[in-house]
Amino acid sequence: MNCRSEVLEVTVEARQVEEAMLALLHTILLHRSTGKFHYKKEGTYSIGTVGTLDIDCDFIDFTFVRVSSEELDRVIRKAVSEFKDALNNSGSDGMGQISLEFYQKKKSRWPFSDECIPWEVWSIKVNVVNLANEQERQICREKVGEKLGEKVINVVEVINRHEYLPKMPTQSEVDNVFDTSLKDVQPYLYKITYQITDSLGTSVSTTMRRLIKDTLAL
Amino acid sequence: MAHFDTEYQRLEASYSDSPPGEENLLMHVPEGAKSQWHHIENLDLFFQRVYNLHQKNGFTCMLLGEIFELVQLLFVVGFTVFLANCVDYDILFANKFVNHTDSSKVTLPDAFLPVNVCSARIQGNAFVIFVLMISGVFWLHRLIKFIYNVCCYWEIRSFYINALKMTMSELPYATWQEVQARIVEIQKEHQICIHKKELTELDIYHRILRFKNYMVAMVNKSLLPVRFRLPVLGESVFYTRGLKYNFELIFFWGPGSLFENEWSLKPEYKRGGNRLELADRLASRILWIGIANLLLCPVILVWQILYAFFSYTEVIKREPGSLGARCWSLYGRCYLRHFNELDHELMSRLSKGYKAASKYMNCFLSPLLTVVAKNVAFFAGSLLAVLIALTIYDEDVLAVEHVLSSITLLGVCITVCRSFIPDKHMVFCPEQLLRVILAHIHYMPDHWQGNAHRYETRDQFSQLFQYKAVFILEELLSPVVTPIILIFCLRRKSLEIIDFFRNFTVEVVGVGDTCSFAQMDIRQHGHPAWMSEGKTEASIYQQAEDGKTELSLMHFAITNPQWQPPQETTHFISQLKERVHREATGVPTDTHPLSLSESEPRSLIANLLAGPSTLASVHFGRDSSLTNHAAAGISDGASALRSLSPISSSLHLRGSLSAAHRTAGHTSTMSKAMAGSGTDARTVSSGSSAWEGQLTSLVLSEYASTEMSIHALYMHELHKQQSRGELSRHTWHRQESDESSDSVPDEVRSQPNPHSRNFPRSHTFPAAVPSPSAIPTSASATSTTTMGQEGASSHNSSERRYSGPTTDSFGAGGKVVRSARVPMGGWAEEGQTAPRHHEPLPEESLEDEMPPHIHKIT
Repeated sequence: MNCRSEVLEVTVEARQVEEAMLALLHTILLHRSTGKFHYKKEGTYSIGTVGTLDIDCDFIDFTFVRVSSEELDRVIRKAVSEFKDALNNSGSDGMGQISLEFYQKKKSRWPFSDECIPWEVWSIKVNVVNLANEQERQICREKVGEKLGEKVINVVEVINRHEYLPKMPTQSEVDNVFDTSLKDVQPYLYKITYQITDSLGTSVSTTMRRLIKDTLAL
Repeated sequence: MAHFDTEYQRLEASYSDSPPGEENLLMHVPEGAKSQWHHIENLDLFFQRVYNLHQKNGFTCMLLGEIFELVQLLFVVGFTVFLANCVDYDILFANKFVNHTDSSKVTLPDAFLPVNVCSARIQGNAFVIFVLMISGVFWLHRLIKFIYNVCCYWEIRSFYINALKMTMSELPYATWQEVQARIVEIQKEHQICIHKKELTELDIYHRILRFKNYMVAMVNKSLLPVRFRLPVLGESVFYTRGLKYNFELIFFWGPGSLFENEWSLKPEYKRGGNRLELADRLASRILWIGIANLLLCPVILVWQILYAFFSYTEVIKREPGSLGARCWSLYGRCYLRHFNELDHELMSRLSKGYKAASKYMNCFLSPLLTVVAKNVAFFAGSLLAVLIALTIYDEDVLAVEHVLSSITLLGVCITVCRSFIPDKHMVFCPEQLLRVILAHIHYMPDHWQGNAHRYETRDQFSQLFQYKAVFILEELLSPVVTPIILIFCLRRKSLEIIDFFRNFTVEVVGVGDTCSFAQMDIRQHGHPAWMSEGKTEASIYQQAEDGKTELSLMHFAITNPQWQPPQETTHFISQLKERVHREATGVPTDTHPLSLSESEPRSLIANLLAGPSTLASVHFGRDSSLTNHAAAGISDGASALRSLSPISSSLHLRGSLSAAHRTAGHTSTMSKAMAGSGTDARTVSSGSSAWEGQLTSLVLSEYASTEMSIHALYMHELHKQQSRGELSRHTWHRQESDESSDSVPDEVRSQPNPHSRNFPRSHTFPAAVPSPSAIPTSASATSTTTMGQEGASSHNSSERRYSGPTTDSFGAGGKVVRSARVPMGGWAEEGQTAPRHHEPLPEESLEDEMPPHIHKIT
């Protein structure tokens, strides 16, 4: 696949899932967002400002920084709480994976729909543990905080590398690269998906699609 | 307050940059997506399409070709049905009379049945309906495929035009290497692949050939069940397109295959933990696919016939030699293919070997058949002669019933018989023919050498090079045999297959999961009997058979001179090149590990180049067009003729070799490269200067094939001598092993330098060379000696490098698993003993020729 992929793994207690996920997703999105672009006549643009906000976690000894955009926060919270519910309802051993995928759109001609080509995928693997007593919970609280701190540094390191990023678009193409639906911030186009446990095999639809594609290929 | 007077002052100008009103805004200029070619999602498919479009000579050619194929298919089906159902043959054969009022002439439309009768006949026939339905589906499939392809390739076309800056009209005349170089160039600007700043040639090859490399490796390791021991036919190979399709379906892309998508193996197959479970799952999947094959058998059969018809015409288009009676079998193509070898490279290689191969096969006409054929031809011929003579006398003879048809039949009969009668002037020289073949096909089992005249060898060779009729028969049998092979043979191998994919898959950044053999890493997959002795750490399981790793590596390095291999690999290549080069320039070198084989006192290369009228060199000139290529690329026809004589052919080859060598190495211009290489430079550079501009890459690629042929021959020769050495070693070292223990380090270091084993040759060499080949050596004496010296000086260092690992391997030899098959340590021990035998001989005899490095190394 022509796309970078990073994997983060965390082990948390059930009630910490939401906060841990929010912390990591927001950290990544903080670095993958810009201010709104204001295009000028001569094909130049200026970038608006982005505010940041410190968030203290309730169940983890941890504070993270996120973009101070309520809209963005709402979208992410919704995805994360869906993930959490699915994880709770699954009744299996509490393994799950949430992935944040940055992509860009490519316009194609008529018979095909627009392609979404991912360029970076962050997969966060979550392992939920059950703790017996309050003391363990206390230890876990601190440990998860430390771990998350490491992960955040990890994320920043990855993002600091000079690697491929979509080129800054012109006004007409801005929708192909950035998510412009938000009022106060402009992240790269992203998609959040989740998956409960390592389900084996690809789904039927993708297999069929590949089967057809392959028979068509020269 | 005191007023401080400092030198620090506020800069006035710095705040006046921004336009008024927008002081706090920084202005940016968007780069925009100037090209749509950055960050392509599926690079595998993309490169494959780029390659295909290049192979199909551009968009228009491809489009036209496909349209015509579609029309052809319609025509064939329609016409066949028409002939079968709508023609009244009684009228044509004049068994039934037509009542015409005006004239007695029968016209063609008279023979056609009326439309309603015709359609009734078609509707009444269930079989025809069945065939029509299947071909309808087939045609629709092709039509959809065609439309899909047009859309995809249109994009590739604009990639060629906008990004690579090549127009479609010049595409047929551009080599793939040129296209590839541009892609590599483009990557720096557009970032097609986002993992890396720069693409290498190997990356592109890996992506195009990802699955093919796996198949080649599996055939190489005899994993696929394609060889069978049948009760009547003996050992035979059955590998058809249908079988191949099924293998690919199971492994690579079918539902539930081992691969997740084009570029990555499913993660569970990479872990060894549940291999048994996975093997079970694979086995049951193979079973189901086998059963599906069995059920769909009749449909596939009809499909196969249609497909065979069409791909057959396609094969003829692609392969000039395929009109003959034989063709390279599918198995042969897999067996002979290098890792990382594109289709066109393989095809051109095999096509070059075609003539020699069919000649070789023709050597083995059965004498019994010949006698019968001669007599049948005699009787048929006399009948034919009488009939023809009668016809000439009076053409009314033709009107007699069946005379025309019997003339035709007799003619066919004679033609068939003639193919069984050997050419009167043909000489039976299979060994040399086989060597010429080897120069092109590059692979051959060890036991063929020296047994070329045996019928077993011929039989085995026919597995690679089969009758076209057999090929088609196998294809038609395939729908029946394939499910049997799948269910009974492949299923049993499921565990091995799972292990194979786990062990031989590596993840390469920016490429994805590839077959590790395709990395061509000598250290991991080298075979000690193929020149990578001491460099390889592979166990028997990991070694590629038949020297595939080494030969593939050489092939890839030669065809892609710009490619920069990893460090150790570079050593291997440069060392081998140097050795071959030195052999080729005729310097009595120290690389020749001989003295063990009395039958061939001189090396093969020397044989070929300076060859004293041996048939081999003549064959080379004539059959393989080896010299012709060298000559035709550079100088005119006159010198091409001259090049057939041994002397000038050696000169030419030498010139071309060094030319290719240098241009490849330094990518400098031709003439510049020529300036360095002595006498033979004159002929080459004079011709090349005019052509230089357009032809460089073409010439280079032709040189590349020549150079590769020589390397392949050289490596096989070396391998043969090495394996012979292993046989005779046992007796040798038993006697001497005890006393060699004291001087191990010195002796071992001298071991890799094979000159210790060729001392006797240096005695016999000058004597054995007859006068013609002595001339070039003396004529180019100046260049030879200078070459020899630079060779010697650089040789020293490389020899040192080489000696390092070998010493290690000797030390560690006992531990290595490979000792199971190759009697380990033997090589090294032989090295100790061999020089002892010859020690007294060489010192004086070689002293004057090449004193410096003999002293240094021993």
